[in-house]
Amino acid sequence: MADELDRLAEETRAVLRVATTPDALAALRRDVFGRRGRIAVLMKTLPLLTGGERAALGARLNQLRISLEEALAAREAELNSAAMARRVEAEVIDVTLPGRRGPIGRRHVLRRTLDEVERIFIGMGFEVVDGTEVETDEFNFGRLNMPRDHAARDSQDTFYLSDELLLRTHSTVVDAHVMVGRTPPMRVVTSGRCYRRDAVDATHMPVFHQVDGFMVGEGITFADLKGVLASFAREMFGSGTRARFQPGYFPFTEPSAELAVTFGGRWLELGGCGMFHPRVLEMAGIDPQRYTAFAFGLGVDRPAMVRYGIPDIRLLWENDLRFLEQF
Amino acid sequence: MRVLLSWLRDYVDVTDEPDVLGEQLPMLGLGVDAVERLPDGDVVLDLEISSNRPDLLSLIGIARELAAWRRRDVRLPSDDVVNVDPPSGTVTAVEIVDPALTPRYVAHVLTGVTVGASPAWLAYRLEASGVRPINAIVDATNYVMLEWGQPLHAFDLDALAERRIVVRLAAAGERLVTLDGVTRDLDPEALVIADARRPVALAGIIGGAETEIGPTTRMILLEAASFRPASVRRTSRRLGLRTEASMRFERGIDPEGTLRAARRAARLITELAGGTVLRTPVDAYPAPPARPVISLRLARIDRLLGVHVPTDEAIGILSRLGVHIHRDGDVVRATPPVGRRDLEREEDLIEEVARHFGYDRIPEAMPVEVMSQGRRPARLEAEAAARDALIRAGLTEALTVSLVNQPLLDRLDIEFSDPRRIGVALTNPLTTEHTRLRPVLLPSLLEAVRVNVNRRREAVHLFEIGRTFMRTPEGEIAERRHLAIAMRGRWLQGAWDQPADVQEVTFFHLKGVLETLADELRVGPLSIRGPRERERWLHLGRAGQMFIGETKAGDLGELAPIVAERYDLPGRTYVAELDLEVVLDRAMLQPRYAGLPRYPAVRRDVAVVAPLDLAHAVIEGAIRDSVGELLEAVELFDVYTGPPLDAGMRNLAYALTLRAPDRTLTGDEVEAIIRRVHTTLSARLPVRIRV
Repeated sequence: MADELDRLAEETRAVLRVATTPDALAALRRDVFGRRGRIAVLMKTLPLLTGGERAALGARLNQLRISLEEALAAREAELNSAAMARRVEAEVIDVTLPGRRGPIGRRHVLRRTLDEVERIFIGMGFEVVDGTEVETDEFNFGRLNMPRDHAARDSQDTFYLSDELLLRTHSTVVDAHVMVGRTPPMRVVTSGRCYRRDAVDATHMPVFHQVDGFMVGEGITFADLKGVLASFAREMFGSGTRARFQPGYFPFTEPSAELAVTFGGRWLELGGCGMFHPRVLEMAGIDPQRYTAFAFGLGVDRPAMVRYGIPDIRLLWENDLRFLEQF
Repeated sequence: MRVLLSWLRDYVDVTDEPDVLGEQLPMLGLGVDAVERLPDGDVVLDLEISSNRPDLLSLIGIARELAAWRRRDVRLPSDDVVNVDPPSGTVTAVEIVDPALTPRYVAHVLTGVTVGASPAWLAYRLEASGVRPINAIVDATNYVMLEWGQPLHAFDLDALAERRIVVRLAAAGERLVTLDGVTRDLDPEALVIADARRPVALAGIIGGAETEIGPTTRMILLEAASFRPASVRRTSRRLGLRTEASMRFERGIDPEGTLRAARRAARLITELAGGTVLRTPVDAYPAPPARPVISLRLARIDRLLGVHVPTDEAIGILSRLGVHIHRDGDVVRATPPVGRRDLEREEDLIEEVARHFGYDRIPEAMPVEVMSQGRRPARLEAEAAARDALIRAGLTEALTVSLVNQPLLDRLDIEFSDPRRIGVALTNPLTTEHTRLRPVLLPSLLEAVRVNVNRRREAVHLFEIGRTFMRTPEGEIAERRHLAIAMRGRWLQGAWDQPADVQEVTFFHLKGVLETLADELRVGPLSIRGPRERERWLHLGRAGQMFIGETKAGDLGELAPIVAERYDLPGRTYVAELDLEVVLDRAMLQPRYAGLPRYPAVRRDVAVVAPLDLAHAVIEGAIRDSVGELLEAVELFDVYTGPPLDAGMRNLAYALTLRAPDRTLTGDEVEAIIRRVHTTLSARLPVRIRV
């Protein structure tokens, strides 16, 4: 019996030394540790032995089982890691080959700008509204205090579709619509395409974008106008931005101002603003004695060009992907 | 307006450096285009004047602004003249036919003048102001125009038939040779100054050559008038003729200022050219307008501006601007000066106070108001969501001009009977490139594709969301949001181990984008029907119509080869044009949680051999019908044509995912379902099941 144990130990270790495949190890494990393996067979002979011998050999057999188990596990781990090493060695790739990419879409730079502007005004409690690009002469001009024959119409050379229908020259026309039938207070902002009868060149397009907004209430002042637009300018162009308000002229505001902000060490002109002319409020059915209102109209295309360093307005409309993909 | 600084100092003390003026005048609302230094050290300020301030097209108007700004006084020039008999009315007569077009016409008569060149100082002032010196008499009228803003004209009185002036509309067929030597055909809406026989000047714009002041002129009729701005503007535009005079009349000349300017010019002429002024000028002034008196509530200044302006300061500003003030407790009765017709109501005066108080002294405040909820309407939210979905699907947003022309639209090959072929015409297009509003987006978007392909950018995946325009049968304009997509060329970058054709965009990439859009907006069941009913601009065999439920949303497919050729696009381009409103109407932006499955799913594959013309959608529909609600998903994972299949046949392999919400499906149940699928397919369709 003792010899049997020695032989088992010796033979098992010999097989372990030469085994080079997981299969060989599996066979050995079956042969030695299996249900009918050599250790099991030896275990079965133990009860046939006498008390003292049985205890001694039993202990030896147990020790042997543990040591062989460890040796086998060690050899398995060794072979496994060698196999892993061979596999990864065989799977070398050229990591300098280009990465694979699906297409990434982008917003147009003007849309991106419009979204930013809207977000800022929503943050100040403004409600965004939508308008139409085709408008009536009455709303685009008349309701904004520019009756027919008004001199200011000349500077807004207009595309007409009929005597009464035209392409809006400013999104301020949306203000005139929104005020009708609503009761103050109101704070509203709108944006979209506007049209002027301009030939295409590096600084002009017949189509351009504008953001317009207004606020009506019982105590709205010119100081509020300055505060809201200066706050907008700081959000849009950075916290150190200063806003400049210079007197200007718009038929629908009184007093009126031109807004410019500091950007890149220069003044960037953003648009016009002022207190709504009482006649505009009257035409919208709002009592100008009780309520006052400020309004503003901001350019989008040219400020975006300055902000991003775009030299030619036609780039915005040409849709060259090498341009679009930069934003 | 070119302002010679040394001349301006005649009327107000200006001590500021030119550069300071250049910086500060815009803060008063006087735009400075340039500060120009003359060789002799003098300075010209080139000012931009807004259309509501005709008074600022004069040195005295500008002097008033500077006086109010620097709290100084204005010096007005002398207009004392020695008058002699007989009265002007005995020598000439003035008739105004329509007072609405000509509120006032003043005519001074001067006799015994000697026409010569102006003195150097005067010629210098005119030239620096951008006006060419002609002779002393014409120069005197121009000088006073620059000084007071009132355009004047001098006629050779002896050249006027019957020495008479009639201000009337031109008669049909009348012509006038103007001072610039051009013969002009007059239309019946043109307001003219005529003598007894013929037009001798275009009212408010330019004089006539035949009555011009010349070396032999001895008697002068000196005109100072006020004409209706719209009339002058119309004729000036029609003739393409803008002059210093028309520029001023277009903005409105206060009739109250005519007499004073005429007297000033008469005095200047006698100084420069000798002669005498006949007494009592002819003054045709049929209906002098009432001078407005404006009530200004002092409290209203602070209420509108949001800052406290001391009353003394407010009143001081208005007075220096020439406004006559009568204080009555908390209210001021204000009479604006002659020439300030823009001051009509309280707010106009408050603006004057604000300008000179200083906009930069008004604080930046945040409005104290009832809180309000910032928001976007659902339609704009849905549009933003659609844009976002398309961008995440890999497309780049394009913006194209909404004005097109007929040749561009024609390139798309829209059906002749289709109203989308023409869009909406502009009545006054400026260029042949932009003559109508687009009825569809694709023609412009394809133009953008062409630009990219021309520049060797082959992979183009663009979309545009924009308005389209159509005339309704009622004559109104229907404005609808559309979505156009154009995709071509490589889809994947860096797919260097894939065959080129696998990397290319196909019809199914385009369809995938639309499926993504429909899924992201949760618009409900989307189906693509085709290919036989299609738009002419789509490839006959590779076109479809997109439906949401039973509503058509648009068309998609490969661009028809003939259209691709017109756009100079080699290879295949896939396009879609959708009425986005149909999609947005059904958008559901609010997600709702659906319980995660608690029991395992079973996957089974079903493969069928079917004729090529049997649509996948039909087979998939039959599978869905036969399984019923235990079918969680059915995915087509392989399509094969070629040996050993017969020609005209293809193999389609579907992976079915089966799941019950309340239990684990048993093997027997699953087998029964699959057998049912097999039976249904074989019974209903000309297919063979591959087991």
